[in-house]
Order: sequence, then C-alpha cells, then structure tokens
Amino acid sequence: MDAATAPFTGLRVAVEGAHGGDTALVFIELGVVFLVLALLGRLAGRIGIPSIPLYLLAGLLMGDGGFIPISAGEEFLSIGAQIGIVLLLLLLGLEYSPDDLRVGMRTTWQAGLLDLALNATPGLLVGLMMGWSVTASVLLAGVTYISSSGIIARLLDDFDRVANRETPVILSLLVMEDIAMALFLPILAVMLVGATLLQGAIAAAIAIAIVAAAFLFAMRFSRQLSTVVHSHSRELLLLSVLGLAFLVAGLAEAVQVSAAVGAFLLGLTLSGNVADQLRSLMPPLRDVFGGIFFVFFGISIDPRDLWPVLLPALGLALVTAVTKIVTGVWAARRVGIGPKGQWRTGLSLIPRGEFSIVIAGLGVAAGAQPLLGPFAAAYVLTLAIVGSILMRYADHIPSPLKPPAPRSRSRTPV
Amino acid sequence: MDIFETPLPGVGVRYEFTAEGGDHIGVVVRRDGKRDLALYDREDPDACRGTVELSEGDSGKLADLLGGTNIIARLEDLRHTIVGLAIEWVTMPRSGGLVGRSLAEGRIRTVTSASVVAVIRGDQGIPGIEPSFIFEPGDVVLVMGSDEAVDRAAAILTG
Repeated sequence: MDAATAPFTGLRVAVEGAHGGDTALVFIELGVVFLVLALLGRLAGRIGIPSIPLYLLAGLLMGDGGFIPISAGEEFLSIGAQIGIVLLLLLLGLEYSPDDLRVGMRTTWQAGLLDLALNATPGLLVGLMMGWSVTASVLLAGVTYISSSGIIARLLDDFDRVANRETPVILSLLVMEDIAMALFLPILAVMLVGATLLQGAIAAAIAIAIVAAAFLFAMRFSRQLSTVVHSHSRELLLLSVLGLAFLVAGLAEAVQVSAAVGAFLLGLTLSGNVADQLRSLMPPLRDVFGGIFFVFFGISIDPRDLWPVLLPALGLALVTAVTKIVTGVWAARRVGIGPKGQWRTGLSLIPRGEFSIVIAGLGVAAGAQPLLGPFAAAYVLTLAIVGSILMRYADHIPSPLKPPAPRSRSRTPV
Repeated sequence: MDIFETPLPGVGVRYEFTAEGGDHIGVVVRRDGKRDLALYDREDPDACRGTVELSEGDSGKLADLLGGTNIIARLEDLRHTIVGLAIEWVTMPRSGGLVGRSLAEGRIRTVTSASVVAVIRGDQGIPGIEPSFIFEPGDVVLVMGSDEAVDRAAAILTG
C-alpha cells in the first residue's frame, strides 16, 4: 500500500504549495479513477463479463483501507454518483414504453409475484437473522429481489438470444421488477426517515399515490411532453432532458418519493422520436456517471469490512440463485417453453447488479446499517460475475429438468 | 400461413412463422430499425440455430431478393422523419362510401387535407391516383396526413 501511496503523497506536497493546488489534485485523482475504469472495462470485455462488478472492485481498492487514496475528488465523485443513479433510472424508463409495461403486467403478473416472494424473502430473513433492523432487512430484501436488467439485456444480445422464445419471459419479468422498484423506493425512502408505523403507512400511501398519479400522467401526456422537449439540435435536446430530469429528481426527493423514481417516471413519459434520439444520445453519459456511481459505492466501503459478511453474503447468493432459477423455470413453463428454454430462463435471471447497488446505496447514505454496504458489494460482485458465466454456458450446464412433455404454445396470431 | 407476433419489452417486436418445409423462422424488429433474422433449432425449438443482424438497408435488400416489397419499411422511415404524420391502409367495403365513385367526388383533399397516395388492387399497386379514379370493393387505399385528417378521410372512403 505504501508503495502505491508514496508517489501521490509526494505529489500532494508538491501541488499543495502551488496556487490552486486543490484543483490539480482533484483532476489527478479523477484522471486516475477514470483511467482505472477504462482499463477494467477493457479487461471485462476481453474476458466476457459485465463491467459493473469490476467497477465495484475498483472502488473497493480505492479510498479508505484501499490501495489508492481518494480524498480531494471525493466531493465530485459523490455528486457524480447521484447523477449516475438519476441517469441509470432515466434510461431505464426510456427503455420501456407505457405499452411495454401494460403488456408486461397483463401477461406476467403471476410470475412477477412469485419472483417477489421467492427472491425478496431470503434477503429479509437473513437480514433479520443477523439482527439487523426491519428497515435494513427490507433493504436487503430489495437487493436480493431485483435482477440486473442492464447486465441481462446486454448479455442476451451478446449471446444472440434476443430471438429465442424464452426471451419475452425474461424481459417481462425484468419489467415487472422495475415497476415493483418504482413502488418500493418511495416506501423505502419513508422507512429510512424512521417514521412510526402509522406515519410510515400514511407517508407510504401518499408516496404511492404520487407515483400512481405521475404514472397516469406519463401514460396520458406522453406525446405532449415529448413534443415540447423535442429538438433537432442534440445540444438543446440534451440540455432540456437533463434539466427536466434533475428538476423532477429534485422535486421527487423533496417529497420523499426518491430522486431515482422521479427520473424513472420521466423516462417512461418521454416517448416516440424523443425517446429514440435519447436512446442513442444518452447511454455514453449514463455509462460514465453510472461507472462513477459503482466506484463511489465501492470507495465508501472499507474492504476490511467485507470479511465478516463474506460467508452470509455467499450463502445468500447461493440461495437466491436457486430461487431465481425456480422463478424462471416456472414462468417459462407456464407459457409452454421447453425444458432447455426453461433452464436458460432460470439461469438468465441470476445476475444482480446496478439496482441492487442503488437500493443498498440508499440505505448506506441514510446510515441504516453499517454492514449493508459491504454485504451488498460482496453479494452483487458474486452474482454479477457468476450469474453472467452461468448465463453464457446455460446450454452446457446439465439441467435437472425432465425432457420434453407434449407442449402447447399460446401465442397470438397477427 | 400464420405469422405470430410477440412484443419484446425494451427491444422491439418478434415475428415468427413456420415455413412449409417445417423450419421455424423468426424476425426481430428492433426499435432502432435493425432486424435480426433467426432460424430456430429443430432439437430445441426455443433456441436459435443462428441469427443474422441486418441493418435497415440490409433488410431492404434481402426483401427485394426474396421478391417482396419494402414499401412498408420505407413508409416507416417517413413516419420517423415527420412527427405526427399518419399513414393508413383503408380497405374499401363491399358497397357504400366511395365504392363505384371517383376520387374527385369524395373531395377528400379539400375537406380533410389528407392525401390518397396509392391503391392496391388485387396484386397490383397503383401509384399516382388521378381524380377520375373509380374505387372498387376490396381496394386497399393508402392515405396520408395528420392523424385526424386520415381518420376523416377513412370515414369518407368507407362511408
């Protein structure tokens, strides 16, 4: 560690003497952070795993207890991480049209409920067993429940499985989880403030009413808003959308609906041409700030805190990998997918990623439970990497499912 | 031959059909206009034996090679370029509306501002519709204009 910090300490002494030394240090630290991310991103691409776990790992190695100290740039990284959450959720909302949500809810709600019951419960129970507060345990339930739509959608494409018959099942389940998260985050926000049960229930009801109202607004005025925001200049479009996103996120945060949900609903509202343009314009911006978010989450964790939670995190990862497989197999079997496809569906749901970290990040920021951060980091690191590998080799992993029975398909003719 | 359509949330729409030879063929139309052509596996009918990613241009070429027409795709392009442009295929009823009467009699352009662009009669596409054109039952009429104008034009056409 000393060998790594020595040059920086020297630099600090050198630059602090000069005028504006702080700025210099901020730039140097940010430069190091971004370069490390770029390097890890390349590495991830080379070995064929998603970059999120590596970004987390990089964050763990930086900051307190890590190899690379980050101090001056921390303020920027902290705000950058917040922007990262807003952009992650905004783009998630943009991915789906209100129609996608309607179709998803109509066709997959039973599977969605099973998903929630099977995958949130283990997190809740393990949290309570470790003696965490109810709030912290509910946060952990959120961490184990939500699969990573970012990782999974990307890998489906990489592995050429977009046209597969089980893919709509996977995508619809991801949609259901995202809707559930939009309802879950405001409730969490209320719980984190530490209200009594009654206050909490009232505040949660208000939060859900606001979300529902915003949702209806999104469905109803999607076209009007999109026309107002629309511009042929990319600069003006980006400025309008970012301005709107931050404004909505801020207002949502102010009424305790959580900035992330505000951004998600805004993303849902924008549609048509504007959404098409933004989908090609914004991903690089989201990836940069999203990267900062993962690194910052890692930085805020002292790697020495990982050891005590490692075993329970790995155990929970194993259990919730199995419960995701059960969910996927059940959901795929219901719509007449064959055993191999059922197996692929189950394995494809295992990766956890960005949204587990978003949920844990909320708890960490509110100081809900000191071990939640390290626990979630170890858990997501494991399942993001293992889940991606299982997904890739799904067809080569022996499946316990029985060979085909006579099957019937329910599909709608055009 | 039935074509099945399945929405893919966040991706686009998947169409699939069974070829006469028994192979299952699928096409994923992505929201950005790219297409994936997929051939399903005989052993594991839920997976693909292979997929080909096609740009919009590629799909046009392939469609031409296969003997189809990509007029629909081109219309989609137009719709993307002009916000609020509605394009509708109106099938003429057995009787009533403008059946047996001319385009000029319907005064569609004057009354609704929508344009009648082309007509498909049987296997034949007829572009450049003259005012004296007489509509027949079963004609498929391509109308363009604003949403509202197209609706009103369709009402005049079908009576």
